[in-house]
Amino acid sequence: MKAKSKILLIDDEEVVRDSCTQILEGGPYEIASASDGTAGLRLVEEFQPDLIFVDLKMPGISGFEVLEKVAAMDPTIVMVVITGFATISSAVDAMKKGAYDFLPKPFTPEEFRLITRRSLEKRRLTLETISLRREKEMLREHFAHIVSHEMKAPLSAVQQNLFALEFELAETLNETQKETFKRTKSRIDELLKLINSWLRFVSVDINQLQEKFVQVSVKDEIARALETIGPYAVRKDVEIITAIDESLHPVIGDGLSLSEAFGNLISNAIKYSNDGSKILVKAEENANDVVVTVKDEGVGISKEDLPHIFEGFFRGKSGQAMASGHGIGLAVSHQIIEAHNGSIEVESEPGAGTTFAVHLPKANPVQPTTG
Amino acid sequence: MAKRLLIIDDDPDYVAGIKAILDKAGFEVEVANDPKAGLRALQTRPYDLLLLDIMMGRGAEGVMIARKLRKDTKLREMPVLIITGMREQIAFLFPGEPIHPGFVKLDELVEKPVEPSLLLEKVNGLLQAAEERKAVPQ
Repeated sequence: MKAKSKILLIDDEEVVRDSCTQILEGGPYEIASASDGTAGLRLVEEFQPDLIFVDLKMPGISGFEVLEKVAAMDPTIVMVVITGFATISSAVDAMKKGAYDFLPKPFTPEEFRLITRRSLEKRRLTLETISLRREKEMLREHFAHIVSHEMKAPLSAVQQNLFALEFELAETLNETQKETFKRTKSRIDELLKLINSWLRFVSVDINQLQEKFVQVSVKDEIARALETIGPYAVRKDVEIITAIDESLHPVIGDGLSLSEAFGNLISNAIKYSNDGSKILVKAEENANDVVVTVKDEGVGISKEDLPHIFEGFFRGKSGQAMASGHGIGLAVSHQIIEAHNGSIEVESEPGAGTTFAVHLPKANPVQPTTG
Repeated sequence: MAKRLLIIDDDPDYVAGIKAILDKAGFEVEVANDPKAGLRALQTRPYDLLLLDIMMGRGAEGVMIARKLRKDTKLREMPVLIITGMREQIAFLFPGEPIHPGFVKLDELVEKPVEPSLLLEKVNGLLQAAEERKAVPQ
């Protein structure tokens, strides 16, 4: 059951306190009241209200002071000022001291109910915003830490002990048992890779990357990517055809990151390719850019999935049944290419295949590459 | 005589997986499950090699141990193999480089989990290099 909202009334006039209590009676509220500021402030701590109605003109400490003190105690408590002296300037002053709204006397029950509902909604949104912000901070700042400690460390321990068991039992294992070890290790390895790619995704720092930019040969970086990924293509019987312009201009960037980006695109193409199909990796240039395209004949990406594929933690429905990918690679590639002041485009037709095109600005001043 | 190795790592389950491999390969292996016990062990008796975890306790306490060792004239000669799960930080800060040159002066680094063949290759390599250093006095 939802907790009742707590409302505190601070007003020296008993008739106001009573009538306000009466108006809200029967609603999902818990109500407390105080006849002066000092008693009111004490109740703020004990009662922990969501919403406070406070009279500006009271004997003892003034409503303004109450506003100030409450705002210092807990700025998320919503405060509404009630007063018979409804002047623009006192309203402005009250708002400055942290009041959310202003209710001039006399008011109708409907007005009071309305402002109560609106203020409680404000309170709810304030709390929700705070908790969302906290959650987001936690995800951003501690994600890497949590993932590496809570997930990666235990998995590493499991994998390490599998390695050890297999090593210890090397002479006694039969073929079936060896196969079991192999498959188990490879499943855990997949998980570790997945965790590493999450960590990679949250830790790509564009500024840090750009500090190390030098002239880079796109051709070399594609070759490097193909070297790592080649075996996967062979395993899936996918043929990679390359068409790389020999006289490509260099680009300015970080070689390893670029090869990682190309590698992600190519391995993505392999993942979504049908066995025995072809992938074309092409590098050419136009007036301003070096353009690398990766074209597959695979399952393709549906129209509704297309706008989201670079978002990270996203994997299209169409491919889910077929591949065991985790959708982080494209997001990382996107981050890397953007850090290089480049762009990445995708065209796809479900069932026919997908083409990714990476544009990277040519290094300036334009000069021929050596070799 | 069997070479004596010390492992300092605060994850006993993980250590079991390393120790079993080294045991079977014929090494004499001792374990310290926290940095303090590790330092105590290092000061009590000599070891031929230290296998050191980086992320222990409240942070990179392994780095502190490595730094202390480098300042100790006797322990400085002992080879250290860093075994770390913090690939993400290292790979991110220094893509493509296994060890950051300014991180701390280390002998070798491997990533958790480590395959038996790689582990033994690194351990044997470091032990051999240390022998060679001893054989050729400066």
